Amino acid sequence: MMERIIESLAQLFLLLALAPLVTGVIRTLKARLQTRCGPGVFQPYRDLFKLFRKGMVIPETASWIFAATPWIVFFSTILAGLMIPMVAADAPLGLFGGVLAVIYLLGLGRFFLALSGLDTGSSFGGLGSSREMTISALAEPAMMLAIFTVAIGAGSTGLTEIAGAAIGQTWRFLAPAQMFAFAALALVLIAETGRIPVDNPATHLELTMIHEAMILEYSGPYLALVEWAASIKQLVLMTLLINCFWPVGLQPTWFGFGALIGIGWLLAKLLFLSCAIVLLETVNAKMRLFRVPELLAVAFTLGSLALVSTFLF
Amino acid sequence: MRPFLDMQFGDRIITLMAALVLVLQIAVVAQRWIVTHIRIFAIQSFLLAMIAATIAWFNHAPHIYIAAALTLVVKVILVPIIFERLVVRMDIREEIKPIINVPLSVVISGGLTLLGYVVAESFYKQNEPGLGHNELAVAISLFLIGFFTMINRRKALTQVLALLSLENGLFLAAISLTYGMPLIVELGILFDVLVAAMVLGILVYRIRETFESIDVSRLRRLRG
Repeated sequence: MMERIIESLAQLFLLLALAPLVTGVIRTLKARLQTRCGPGVFQPYRDLFKLFRKGMVIPETASWIFAATPWIVFFSTILAGLMIPMVAADAPLGLFGGVLAVIYLLGLGRFFLALSGLDTGSSFGGLGSSREMTISALAEPAMMLAIFTVAIGAGSTGLTEIAGAAIGQTWRFLAPAQMFAFAALALVLIAETGRIPVDNPATHLELTMIHEAMILEYSGPYLALVEWAASIKQLVLMTLLINCFWPVGLQPTWFGFGALIGIGWLLAKLLFLSCAIVLLETVNAKMRLFRVPELLAVAFTLGSLALVSTFLF
Repeated sequence: MRPFLDMQFGDRIITLMAALVLVLQIAVVAQRWIVTHIRIFAIQSFLLAMIAATIAWFNHAPHIYIAAALTLVVKVILVPIIFERLVVRMDIREEIKPIINVPLSVVISGGLTLLGYVVAESFYKQNEPGLGHNELAVAISLFLIGFFTMINRRKALTQVLALLSLENGLFLAAISLTYGMPLIVELGILFDVLVAAMVLGILVYRIRETFESIDVSRLRRLRG
């Protein structure tokens, strides 16, 4: 029991501390690749700190949903983060639910964000909400198919079992089903975290913005919570992707010297994935909104091929 | 055990590359720019050459190396160069406009892949050793998606490219089922492809000269 609590606290700390860093690293790497200086790796921390000290403006038309949303989004994301294996295959809150719980906790956060976008009655918020829901409705089937492929391989939807099964098999990621599922999930990751072919995370003043349009009315500490939750969600999805398909260095338990090795591997793999994302963002232009379904149709087809090929190969 | 002699490892690698070929074929269906289409074709052919080389390595069949090298020269280097030149010469800037919209085409090609697997299933015997099953399924899917892409495109140049990826499927089927056709047949097919690419390139150019477009739906009347 005591061990569980220590594990949960350690992973909680890792989630809260690491998420802004990942965002900062991606931004800095991207700036360097575009021969800009960039604000430095620790800028997201400074932003959050600044926002937490500021006052808030709450629109007169807003209801309780507007005030509740940042908390709901923040805590549902953290809860999802505690259910995934980060350093050890054994997730701290793994007993409470498997991968489906993680996805739908993130879905709960998104649902409330969309509601709060509508809540203030501004047209930008409504636009953002409708776009977010369109994209997530298209991304979800692809994601579920990819996840089911992985779950069938492990014989369970529990993330602890999935990661455990992945540790045992070295050449597993060479199987076509795994590769299709990986590609589908990577496309979904891009769509879900609002990365460039789908949404531009750097913009605040574009008619095509999605995530930023929903949270346009937030300011001060609430904005900080929403932004922090967004970076934690990104970290959760990235960790899910790397630990399901590429579990090198994932430890069986949290304790002892192994945990340090596990953290080292986690950081290395996150850095690698960040580099890939940065490269992808730099060589691609943002898609027109009506082209996004094409990308997600590719993800869906890959996901269904993955699921079917687990039975055929 | 060294992986480079392990038959199982070879089988894995070949299956993986075949799957990548399939992914590229679906990427072609979703593609809007003709230059990218040509490059994807080049990468796909490169993977096919690698598959051929891997099969040659694990089955100790040196004559397949020649087929692999020829594929490399003809389909990875010569044919893409011919087509890219043609694109530059005809000054094609517009996007590919498929008849069925892109998301639906992608889903249809997914369905065609399933059909490919179902068809390949009946050729497969449980106790027979060696490769063949997955590769045959991928090859049949490449045929079907290639045919579908040909039907789905209006411009003559993209239809020619679809024909060539269909031919890639043929090559994959031949090499994975029989560990390579006789070398003379292989040579014949490759030169055929090269000549076809050149002749069709000239033909496409002439079509545009005459009709001021390479849209085949306009080829209804005879012109003197």
